[in-house]
Amino acid sequence: MSEGVTPSPKGTLGGLPLKTHNLVGGLIMIAIAAVLLAYAIWTPNALVPRILSGAVVLIGIAVAAGVVPVHGPRDFYGGLMLVLLATLALTASAELPGQRGFAFGPGTAPRLFSILLAALGAAVALGGVFAEGAPIEKYKVRGPALVIVSILAFAGMIRPLGLVPATFLAFMISILGSTEMRWIESLVAAALMTLFCVLLFVYLLNLPFQLWPRFY
Amino acid sequence: MSELLANLWMGFQVAGHPYNILFCLLGALVGTLVGVLPGIGTVATIAMLLPITFGLPPVGALIMLAGIYYGAQYGGSTTSVLVNIPGEATSVITCLDGHQMARQGRAGPALAIAAIGSFFAGCVATVLVAALGAPLTSLALLFGPAEYFSLMCLGLIFAVVLAKGSVIKAVAMVVTGLLLSMVGSDLETGAGRMTFDIAELADGIGFANIAMGLFGFAEIIRNLELPAESRDIVKSKITGLMPTRQDLIDSAGAIARGTVLGSLVGILPGGGAVIASFAAYTFEKKISKDPSRFGRGAIEGVAAPESANNAAAQTSFIPLLTLGIPPNAVMALMVGAMTIHGIVPGPQVMTKQPELFWGMIASMWLGNLMLVVINLPLVGVWVTLLRVPYRLLYPSIIVFCCIGIYSINNSPFDVVIAAIFGVVGFWLVKHDFEPAPLTLGFVLGPLMEENLRRAMLIARGDATVFFTRPISSALLITAIILLIVAALPKMRRRRDEVFVE
Repeated sequence: MSEGVTPSPKGTLGGLPLKTHNLVGGLIMIAIAAVLLAYAIWTPNALVPRILSGAVVLIGIAVAAGVVPVHGPRDFYGGLMLVLLATLALTASAELPGQRGFAFGPGTAPRLFSILLAALGAAVALGGVFAEGAPIEKYKVRGPALVIVSILAFAGMIRPLGLVPATFLAFMISILGSTEMRWIESLVAAALMTLFCVLLFVYLLNLPFQLWPRFY
Repeated sequence: MSELLANLWMGFQVAGHPYNILFCLLGALVGTLVGVLPGIGTVATIAMLLPITFGLPPVGALIMLAGIYYGAQYGGSTTSVLVNIPGEATSVITCLDGHQMARQGRAGPALAIAAIGSFFAGCVATVLVAALGAPLTSLALLFGPAEYFSLMCLGLIFAVVLAKGSVIKAVAMVVTGLLLSMVGSDLETGAGRMTFDIAELADGIGFANIAMGLFGFAEIIRNLELPAESRDIVKSKITGLMPTRQDLIDSAGAIARGTVLGSLVGILPGGGAVIASFAAYTFEKKISKDPSRFGRGAIEGVAAPESANNAAAQTSFIPLLTLGIPPNAVMALMVGAMTIHGIVPGPQVMTKQPELFWGMIASMWLGNLMLVVINLPLVGVWVTLLRVPYRLLYPSIIVFCCIGIYSINNSPFDVVIAAIFGVVGFWLVKHDFEPAPLTLGFVLGPLMEENLRRAMLIARGDATVFFTRPISSALLITAIILLIVAALPKMRRRRDEVFVE
């Protein structure tokens, strides 16, 4: 993981000019934080997450406007996301009963650790503001997206369609993510893999799978 | 002593049952097969193969899982030597000298010495597990909730110190893991916590799903980002598997030192095989008369890390079997497997199910023996497997993982969770966060919370209890000192050096 650790030349970060980069990053932060803020306002008893997510919205605006110079975007956005995750957890556990007497309630520990996480995330983000740090690595979309789509497609197909179509189709979707895909080879490989999985899981291991679509 | 021998004998009787030998062999074989595939580490291998052990009796299933574990580790080093792509984190360091040896036409001896070193380390570690089992179990009886909580804190701090990169980021990952582990029903009141009214989340997030997402899917996604690879498989035919006399003499010391180092690091909670192999390599290089040989095909550079990672892999069973605390992600999966078979890991396993405890220990030794026996003749098969292009390999891995996850609970939702954690893992790597501390936090979370709550209740809400009880306070103070030392600028530089190498 040594790539991307070299400090970027002044003015560009992750291939984008500094201003655009901050604008995009700031807007993403504003969007996520705003959703969380709405959720926190809608939830009763959620004062702390309201303040936290509100603060992140303001920070996002400041970053997008270019008021805050971000020297280490990788840590800055990473840390802020952890703060937002903590906010989400705080909101979600806001309605749980807390400590009663000596006994912890179900909500005590989640709140304790959420606040700790928010503090740690803020510390990481602060480090990203002040210390010169690494840029964010570029994201490639096509390959990763197709892999995720194929996994989700498998999850969606396995119940209604059965093992054979789900395996075959998931294989074909995920192989599209490769830049060097060849059709015939892929179809053969998909068929072989499906056969192998059916033999292994259904016949050898005797796991209860439905193989084909069920027609009523 | 005689009791130890009697126990071991009983263990060998269990492990030596023809069925169990078969399971052990099968496990080692399948584990190696999957471990050889580049880009799948031990954790993903075990998570992937977990479902195939469900139908077996408990002892057989655990023996098979242990076999898979050693197989996966050994498979990783095979890939390192032959292709220069580490099959997994523990064999990164083996690439350095192993692949150089292979290029010099000495792939055979490199693989053989890795197997022999692993076997020797396995033998020593097996005896260690057997010998330390009983005393540690009685120590566990002295532990109250406060001590358990402090011990787990120490374990998590170890994980932070041993992770690479920034200490504060690693702590943040641990806390994220703890928080994720609290999703689901509360243990005491049954209240649904952070479930967003999703019925499937009421039972919490399954560890196998998280592990598969963070270590399996995320790795594949990340590999897809890299430009089309040119794999550097050793072309020449592998001849002369056996190392020469000189090789054996050269590596004997390295194997012994690697074993000692690995055994020690493995016992530490949060420690593990990765750091053991790095440490052993660095140590060998330091004490060598001619350090410049390292990185150019020095056989010690293969022998030491391989022995160390195997010893560590094995001794990491000690905290699990005696205290019931999984020291790393692999052991966490073992907990999952044990729970599925109705075994609660911890000190009571040894007294209540001695045949399981000792059978498993004996099977560790058998598993290592199997690896020596099956792997050397099968090197040709692994080479063929490595020639399969990645563009065909990764879709196969994905569908196999999907089916595996689905079959654990017959739940499509689990597959979705794994996909989400695939994206999370990808994002974490992009922002330089380590997933390993997160998984450990996730695993220890429920145990930690339970013991924290109990300790506070017993102490009537007095939080100083963790510092007034001697064992607990000693553990916590050690943890604090470790954390401070790791955060010191000087130590930080040293840590970076170790990982850069």
